[in-house]
Amino acid sequence: MEKNKFWKKINQDEQNMTNKKVICAVLGIMCLALTFGIFVQVRTVKSTNSTVSQNYEENNLRAEVLKYKERYDNKFKELEEAEKELEKEREEATKNNSELEEKEAKIKEGNKLTGMTDVTGPGVTITLSDGKGITSSTLNPSTLLVHDIDVLSVVNELINAGAEAISINDQRWVATTAISCRGNTIDINGERIGAPFVIKAIGLPEYLSGLERPGGYLYILRENNVGVKLEKSNSITIPKYTGVIDFEYIQDVN
Amino acid sequence: MKKGIKKGKITMTITIGIACFALVTVMMMQFKIVNETDITSIENMQEAELKTELANWKSKYDDINAKYEDTKSKIEEYKNDEQSSNESSKLLDDELNQTNKILGLTDVQGEGIVLTLQSGKDLTPINADDLLTIVNSLKFAGAEAISINDQRIVSTTDITYINNQFVKVNGQRILEPYVIKAIGNQSYLESALKGNGGWAEELQAIGHTVTIEKDDKLTINKYNGEIETKYIQ
Repeated sequence: MEKNKFWKKINQDEQNMTNKKVICAVLGIMCLALTFGIFVQVRTVKSTNSTVSQNYEENNLRAEVLKYKERYDNKFKELEEAEKELEKEREEATKNNSELEEKEAKIKEGNKLTGMTDVTGPGVTITLSDGKGITSSTLNPSTLLVHDIDVLSVVNELINAGAEAISINDQRWVATTAISCRGNTIDINGERIGAPFVIKAIGLPEYLSGLERPGGYLYILRENNVGVKLEKSNSITIPKYTGVIDFEYIQDVN
Repeated sequence: MKKGIKKGKITMTITIGIACFALVTVMMMQFKIVNETDITSIENMQEAELKTELANWKSKYDDINAKYEDTKSKIEEYKNDEQSSNESSKLLDDELNQTNKILGLTDVQGEGIVLTLQSGKDLTPINADDLLTIVNSLKFAGAEAISINDQRIVSTTDITYINNQFVKVNGQRILEPYVIKAIGNQSYLESALKGNGGWAEELQAIGHTVTIEKDDKLTINKYNGEIETKYIQ
């Protein structure tokens, strides 16, 4: 009897000890996580703010970039005016001559197709955003993000569904448009854009919304918990291409 | 004795509570900042990125300036030639030709590369996604004209497959070997395919047959369909 009591006491003591150990371990882990969180936080704050105010060289570069951007925007406006004028002059010059008028109409039509003018029409808007939810099946968080290849594949499917004009975050898709990865952002027409990606397409909305079919690319993205939204609309405006397509290497074949 | 334990427990609970609270606050702050940080804005770029960005905008500015001058001179020409319809006709032809060139409706030639792909035996065949990726990297390397098995790549080109087997470009079925022609700077084009994750090299590594040849006078045929629009206004 006495012996039994003695053992019981020892047991209880041991249990208390293990309890304490568990609590200590939990506290320790928490402190570690907390410290880690604080470190990450401090680093983020540092990197976001210090670059703005502290680095002289970078500030200079930033100012230079802004200057060129502004100059570009101004030139772009001038070019728009000049193009309107050119169109008028062209019309003027081809008046009273049906053969020339036909050519003029072809040029106008061609400019629409090359992406050199804003266009409107019925179509769909697809929004792709990085997934937020973390499910147990998401072993690889990379599948939650929207990648360059995802945007490329969606554009390819839209063309397949008969899209006549496409833009990605207002960057017009033209014959020479490439989509490439640049760290956390993607590069389209030489411009950096980040998620969410808003892809607009003009075409028959019923066909274009067929992209949501089971097994299609949007379906797969949804399965991976990427945010996918598709909206049909009767009037979508797609802006024109804001760059210049000029050729350095190709020549006409005689 | 009992009271002592209780007191200890209360202190412990409070400590853990405070720690949890602090942790949650810090995490919230973190999430908010990460969410608010616009990674595409130039405020958050570093020196190297800024330099690329600057070069990028400079060349964009030069391009648009050249186009502006060009448009201006065209306006002048139209103004001058108002009387002679022959001259206007020639001007119109030039403009139309330029438009068609951009659309891929003319045969073109120039320096470039020819990439030939043949699936290896007993391997999953090279598929539409591979071709799409290669075309995309060629465009990124500045290719001015591209074709796959003489199907010209235009803005409305899709590369799809049926039953995971037949590749279709511009709605036309194409068969192996895939011959991809691209006109542009030869070394840029080549480096887009080889090395550093270049897709042609990846395909070669798996066991497919890949050849890249340079050609100083490559001809690429025009798009032989019609680009038409029904829905654009």
